[in-house]
Amino acid sequence: MSSFVQYLWLIPLLPLVAAGINAVLPTDARRAAMGLTIATMAASFLISVVAFFKVADGGRLCHNFDWFSLGGGHVRLGWLLDPLSAAMLMMVTFVGTCIFVYSVAYMAHDARQKQFFTFLSLFAAAMLGLIISNSLLLLFMCWEVVGLASYLLIGFWFEKPSAAAACKKAFITTRIGDIGFLLGIVWLAKENGALLFFDNGAGFLEQGALEHLNGLAVGGISAATAIGLLLFCGAMGKSGQVPLHVWLPDAMEGPTPVSALIHAATMVAAGVFLIGRVHPLMTTESLSVVAGIGACTAVIAALIGIAQNDIKRILAYSTVSQLGYMMLALGVGGLGAGIFHLITHGFFKALLFLGAGSIIHGCNDQQDIRAMGGLHGPMRKTFLTYAVGMMALSGFPLLFSGFWSKEAILHAAHSTVGSHLPFYAGLIGAVLTAFYMTRLMSLVFFGTYRGDAEHPPHESPRLMTLPLQVLAVFAIALGFLGTPAWPWFTTWIEGRETHFQFGHLFHLETLGLMIVSTLAVAAGVWLGWRLYFQRLRLTPDETDPLQIVVPRVFYHLEHRLWFDEFYEKTLIAGTRRVAEWLTLVEQGVWVGGIWAAAQISIGFSWLSRCYDEWLINDGFDKSCDSLRGSGKEIADAHRQRLPFTLRTIGAAILVLLAITCIWFGKGGAR
Amino acid sequence: MSVFTIEAFLALAGMVLLLVEAFFPKISLKTLGTAAIGSAVVAFFLYLGCNKDTSALPGFVAAWHQLDTLAIFYKGFALVTTILVLWLLLICSPYLKRFTVDGKFGEMLALPLIVCAGMMWMASAKDLVTVFVSLELVTVSFYVLVAATRKSVISLEAGVKYLILGALSTGILVFGIAWIYGATGSLSFEGIAAACANGGSNKTALLFATAFLLAGMGFKVAMAPFQMWVPDVYQGTSIPVTTFLSVGSKAAGFIVLTRLIDALTVHGSLIRDEVILMLVGLGAITVLVGSLPAIFQTSVKRMLAYSSISHAGFLVLALASRDSVRFDLSAGGIVAFYLATYLPMTVLGFLGIAIMRIQGQGEEIQDFTGLAKRSPLLATMLTIAFASLAGLPLTAGFLGKMFVFVGMVDQGWWVAIGCAVIGAAAGFYYYFRIILAMFSPAPANAVSSSLQFGLSARVLCVALGIVILVLGVYPRPLQKLLAPAPVAAQHAVK
Repeated sequence: MSSFVQYLWLIPLLPLVAAGINAVLPTDARRAAMGLTIATMAASFLISVVAFFKVADGGRLCHNFDWFSLGGGHVRLGWLLDPLSAAMLMMVTFVGTCIFVYSVAYMAHDARQKQFFTFLSLFAAAMLGLIISNSLLLLFMCWEVVGLASYLLIGFWFEKPSAAAACKKAFITTRIGDIGFLLGIVWLAKENGALLFFDNGAGFLEQGALEHLNGLAVGGISAATAIGLLLFCGAMGKSGQVPLHVWLPDAMEGPTPVSALIHAATMVAAGVFLIGRVHPLMTTESLSVVAGIGACTAVIAALIGIAQNDIKRILAYSTVSQLGYMMLALGVGGLGAGIFHLITHGFFKALLFLGAGSIIHGCNDQQDIRAMGGLHGPMRKTFLTYAVGMMALSGFPLLFSGFWSKEAILHAAHSTVGSHLPFYAGLIGAVLTAFYMTRLMSLVFFGTYRGDAEHPPHESPRLMTLPLQVLAVFAIALGFLGTPAWPWFTTWIEGRETHFQFGHLFHLETLGLMIVSTLAVAAGVWLGWRLYFQRLRLTPDETDPLQIVVPRVFYHLEHRLWFDEFYEKTLIAGTRRVAEWLTLVEQGVWVGGIWAAAQISIGFSWLSRCYDEWLINDGFDKSCDSLRGSGKEIADAHRQRLPFTLRTIGAAILVLLAITCIWFGKGGAR
Repeated sequence: MSVFTIEAFLALAGMVLLLVEAFFPKISLKTLGTAAIGSAVVAFFLYLGCNKDTSALPGFVAAWHQLDTLAIFYKGFALVTTILVLWLLLICSPYLKRFTVDGKFGEMLALPLIVCAGMMWMASAKDLVTVFVSLELVTVSFYVLVAATRKSVISLEAGVKYLILGALSTGILVFGIAWIYGATGSLSFEGIAAACANGGSNKTALLFATAFLLAGMGFKVAMAPFQMWVPDVYQGTSIPVTTFLSVGSKAAGFIVLTRLIDALTVHGSLIRDEVILMLVGLGAITVLVGSLPAIFQTSVKRMLAYSSISHAGFLVLALASRDSVRFDLSAGGIVAFYLATYLPMTVLGFLGIAIMRIQGQGEEIQDFTGLAKRSPLLATMLTIAFASLAGLPLTAGFLGKMFVFVGMVDQGWWVAIGCAVIGAAAGFYYYFRIILAMFSPAPANAVSSSLQFGLSARVLCVALGIVILVLGVYPRPLQKLLAPAPVAAQHAVK
């Protein structure tokens, strides 16, 4: 079978090669590094387009091969191309290319630009490998490399203590989830043998294996449920679901393009992608957990987002909230809806982050929205594109992609057979999202500029605004791939047929949901309008209007609902306590034992040293000295005059004769 | 062509060159040297190609001439040594001119050919008379050679010392020969062996004779306690002659000693154990007497003289290991092997000193400081030479020493082994002092210009270094050459 899918590895390979070449380039070869990174990403995008058209009509292509053989067993890996991976490939490569171009301008003044692009390429390679892998093992390997790249990039400005702490936090927090993920993989490998998704009926997402896994019961739940939940642990860590979301807002310490690419558009969606990928494995029980966690995350993160003042931090909580939406969708069975939101979110959140980067750039590295204001004038392009992103995220009706993808989620949550709580959580989330985005827009773009008057804000260079414009177009256009009238995207992902039926828009349920969600958005915007737009902030130090209305609630929200403090007091303090206790054990028990052992060895060494120094060494030295002494005497003897020599020889002959004739003659030698 | 013709040719060539030098004073040293070295090289190639069968010899020669494995080897050894010494003489000619009357040293070029003929005859001597005659041919020639650099006072002193002690040793040797004739009634080695074995002789008389023979031969091979002349003579005379003494004279002494000991310790011999015991004792003492004083020497040349004594001790110990036939080699074979490895490293060591002298440098160890910077080639080659002299593995010197030690371990002479170990260890100490000096940074006031020396010396240097390394890792051809014929025949039958 010589098909296109065999060469799918080219997509991740190109950025990987770029990363490898960049790594060995000299530090000042920034142009070459940038060119290589962008060119390979664009090439990957082109291949992804071809891949997309291969599966544009649905269907699934996979290519498996032996990685290595161990005894009689083979470890097999493979590539997989189906609508899910095709959509992700398109999104990641396209958004990635935009962000890479943007980075050229954004990072122009950084001394370590080459390293930055090296890490970006490495990330892209790993992310693309993750998407196309047809094996949970390969996916996990790429998953870890993605985590590494994220670590490197969050800590890119490692000279800042906050960045160094953030990258550590991100790495460790996601690693907690990964433990569950790895356990799930190991369990799955034990039960199923192979870790391939699809393998002509032998993959674990195919009928036979699923029946087997569903049939196995472990402590009241089926093995499929347990494994699914373990895998979800990994997804929770990576996709910042409550309670493992704490790392994601801190990850904003990285450069803004990194926040846009990794911590908004692509990597954090990997958890959603994972659940989408193993969706057939997820049972009703595990899905209800997914939905519950997703709903909690959507609401809690949105709530926290309301009271934040750092522009990137607001967006980060928004990302967490939206990821909660996606999980919610997957949990209520809306696979297509969740992935649709993932894709649209990838575009508009990248747009928002890049816009935020542009704003930060224009305001001379100011990130506090209280110190901004009135930017709609000086930063026209940024403002317009940002408005598109804001409306898409908030879910403004009809025109924006976010509306349609959120609509699909709400639809799925409403029509689910299970609990309707996620649906209401989704609605509350929609209100909150519209509210905090209105707050953000009001504070940033309207009123008067409250920053440093000597350095007025300025528009960013063309290389930065162009990606914004491109992404803004997609933030609108993508919505039309998944309207209720023509839900092509969702059905394509779920592998169903679809037809254009304009009438579907006017089904009672659909129309009703659209109106309800529109009302929710309107409510959020209205609240924001009342509180922030009507009384525009004049100085950076004013009290937040919301704080005046509900001071106690705002206080808790401002402190991010005390998640970090809670962890600090419980988990971290507990770990520290255990560590201290272990230290005591170490010092009391082990160190004592080691000390005793050391003393015994020292004693023996001392004895041995005495033996060496006084017996062996002194003896040796003495013999050497005596040898030297005799050597000197013999040497002196050779310097004597001839008569001495002759006398010596005479004596020698006499001795020789005495020995031979007298001693030997008496038989002395026998 | 028979071997005897070649020997006669060499002696004749030496005499002709001497006469030419005497009657045609205008003839240049270069011509003489070329003629001498040419004759030696021609003789060497003739020797390689000639019929080495006893039957090829004329009848009057065959009576006192034998051609066994050892004889064939030693004849070749003598030729190679002579060629190398002549080469060395040519290399040293600028330095020799300074110390000879009118800058002429033609006799130094002619006499080695005569010495070579003497050594070749000695190698195949069947009886003590032939031994004595050829030995004197060699020794008398050496009297002249040692004192040839007459403008140097210490050379003259060395000449006198060598003359007096050499004459004395000859007297002792003749006395020993007379006693052996009295005790056994024979002068041929065969006859002596038979007399020793059949028990009809007076044991005391035999031992008395052996003591004198050992004393006489001890002078020639620098065996303790008859080594007293060696340091002064080696240091005093010119470098090529020192080399010749150290290698050629020693080899000549050892072929005679091998023949003699073979006869005296033949199986069933009356005095076999006594002779072996004497050899072991003398060998062990020789090793110590050579090695220990060497530690204190500051002159490389004098140090090499002591080292030469030490090597003589190892050779005597090898000769004493009668009963072990290991590595396809008998005791005499091991001695020959040792000498064959000793030849290139000694010549290379002395060549290094000669090159230093020609450049106007001294021969003290401190003069070698920083040589690695000034001439990496010479320093590398000298390192090989000294490492081999010390007996470092992968060099030729290691194998020689190893054979000796294995032979001694087989016999279980632990006291002698202890002495040999001390000697070998001391050897590492004093040889590596020079190596250390060569690779140390030179003091600020020392000459630091790079050391230039001629192509001919360079070729010789590299060639000898390569030979040392090749023999160190691939000694098989040499072993085959020295394998005792009867043993080889037995292997063939098996």
